[in-house]
Amino acid sequence: MANDKVDVVIVGAGASGSVFAATLAKAGKKVVLLESGPDWQLGDLISSDFWGRRIKPASGPFLLEGKNPFGYVYQAGWGVGGAALHYFANFPRLLPNDFKVKSEHGRGLDWPISYQDVAPYYDKVAHEVGVSGDAKAEEIWRPAGAPYPLPPMKTFRNGEIWLKGFEAVGIRMVPAAVGMNSKDYKGRPACIYDGWCHVGCPIGALANPLVTYLGDARKAGAEVRPLSTVTRVLTNSRGSKVTGVEYYDAKDERQVQEASVVVLAAWAAQNPRLLLNSATDKHAKGLANSSGLVGKYMMAHFSSGTWALFDEDVQNYMGTTGAQFMSYERYDKTSHKGAFGSSFITAGSAMKTSDLGGFANARVDLFGPDLAVFMKRAACGLSRIGAFGEEMPNIENRIELTTDKDAFGMPMAKIIHSYDQDAQALWNANFEEGLKIARATGAQEVWSARGNMPTIHLMGGTIMGMAADSSVTNSYGQTHDIPNLYVAGPGIFATAGASNPTYTILALSLRGAEHLAANWSTVAG
Amino acid sequence: MHDIERRAFMRGAAMGALAFTVAGAAVLLTPAAARAQGVPLRKLTAAQAETLDALGEALVPGARQAGISHFVDQQISIPADEALLEARILNVRPPYANFYVAALGAVDRASQAQHAGRAFAQLEGGEQRSIIDGMRQNKLEGWQGPPAPFVYFVLRSDAVDVVYGTMEGYATLGIPYMPHIAPTKRW
Repeated sequence: MANDKVDVVIVGAGASGSVFAATLAKAGKKVVLLESGPDWQLGDLISSDFWGRRIKPASGPFLLEGKNPFGYVYQAGWGVGGAALHYFANFPRLLPNDFKVKSEHGRGLDWPISYQDVAPYYDKVAHEVGVSGDAKAEEIWRPAGAPYPLPPMKTFRNGEIWLKGFEAVGIRMVPAAVGMNSKDYKGRPACIYDGWCHVGCPIGALANPLVTYLGDARKAGAEVRPLSTVTRVLTNSRGSKVTGVEYYDAKDERQVQEASVVVLAAWAAQNPRLLLNSATDKHAKGLANSSGLVGKYMMAHFSSGTWALFDEDVQNYMGTTGAQFMSYERYDKTSHKGAFGSSFITAGSAMKTSDLGGFANARVDLFGPDLAVFMKRAACGLSRIGAFGEEMPNIENRIELTTDKDAFGMPMAKIIHSYDQDAQALWNANFEEGLKIARATGAQEVWSARGNMPTIHLMGGTIMGMAADSSVTNSYGQTHDIPNLYVAGPGIFATAGASNPTYTILALSLRGAEHLAANWSTVAG
Repeated sequence: MHDIERRAFMRGAAMGALAFTVAGAAVLLTPAAARAQGVPLRKLTAAQAETLDALGEALVPGARQAGISHFVDQQISIPADEALLEARILNVRPPYANFYVAALGAVDRASQAQHAGRAFAQLEGGEQRSIIDGMRQNKLEGWQGPPAPFVYFVLRSDAVDVVYGTMEGYATLGIPYMPHIAPTKRW
């Protein structure tokens, strides 16, 4: 079935798709968002670790391979809002050294833009969604910018208790920048610090897409079609332009949505899968893939967590799931001897009893009566810190289509991912430093949260760059090969940095969407 | 799911209840209540449920009474998109029943191999702990099933969920639950 042609069809109603939708709808464009999951409302965000799992996919069409398979469901989204419906809303930005890794260190890749190109959009996003923090305090590590619109969030003992330890090893901590309201902002209430951010914030104090860009997009006339799964991007006979997408609707009926511009904002793994599955005789390797780099350079973050048990009630259930304090003190690529890559440090996250980040998984080795005793102790004195580490782009970490098919007959894909020695060395270095910090706090017991090396925040796969032979998109997310086809989200990152990616996703999406709106006739004509 | 159905379902969710079938009718019950009322199992056999009860209780004291078997049984009998199991976020591929049947079978086979044909539920406490330690450390020779440490982790998570993930569990630990969307009653 064919639908009336629209100006823009956006695949995915998460963080990046919502920004494109809001910007283009406000510019007067007719926008349709196709979202494979349900149309969640704020009232669906029940404060429960059980029920929070419903806003994540029940397994996607991906097979996981490599030495460090990318376990993605915990951090993925399913439905309107995407992963940003349940993200922690930590809003650190990338720093200038992230954009020129190849030039400055002879490894990794360079971005085609610098920090200064993105900085105005960080500031703009902060004011649009409401960011709390202390921008001035961050200037010990980054160029000055606009102040955040909201003062820092409240802090609690479970975060404050670590400050002595950080000071002992020379790490300066500043108030964490977060996409949450420390005060009422733009009609949304202030946070009440009950620590359920990770299952979704139903009061809208946390800047999820429903209460920010997606809400704006709907107000400006954008249409959201939930339970609509896109399977192919369609092109004209010459292969010079995309003409729309094929998708299956809520009744599993095939539909075609024609559009002047297509924006793929599905997910860092799903976007390459769609491009590869959209191969034609004119694009035999898949769309936008003349470089052969669609699906290549997949990247992740790894976290080195450190636990501590204190002999006082640290009220670990209070606060937000994100962070109270943050630091770029180890953000230089060579901060740790024998390792390479940035680290981003956080302290002070609220905890719950169960789920992956809960009390029980602080000591996975315990069971039976020993676990019961530990749970009692943890409920009073448990706290943790974390350090995200940066993985360098590696062409061997990739997405490939498989011969297996999903329910719509679309080839599934495999995510092949392994960490290299640099990553493992950085992971270990952050564990060692974490223990030093923890011991300096005077905690009763300290230990590392070692297990399988985690894979967090999938990025890459459709990297941006200067040229069509070495990258998939330009800095706006516009594909080099097909000018009216865009990719949005962390897939276009050229390197990963160590900062939580959503703030950068929003900033890059806003930059790309504004550029598209300003150059509409050239792109869509 | 239609809006009205979904709202009714989510109201039930807020109470911590799941949809069980009693005398042919769907009713909302907590897993503990379903167990207490002897609600028939849908997917698990009596033997599988006995193994799961015993394993859950050995992993997390209180899991049996909290209804771990009824919880898992109900969850693996509904569409995967609606499932609340931790298996969902651990990248277990649906249908989840396949994982649980394979995992519970592997536990009993390991138990029978080491203890003269006795299933896990028939073991003494120390014997059960030894099997679990072997699973945790991947030291059970001849294990046949999903990776033993993963089975340990998933089933331990289920047991933690039903004992500590509920409002009652929070109360047991003496910490406030503090929901945004207030449940109308405790689990």
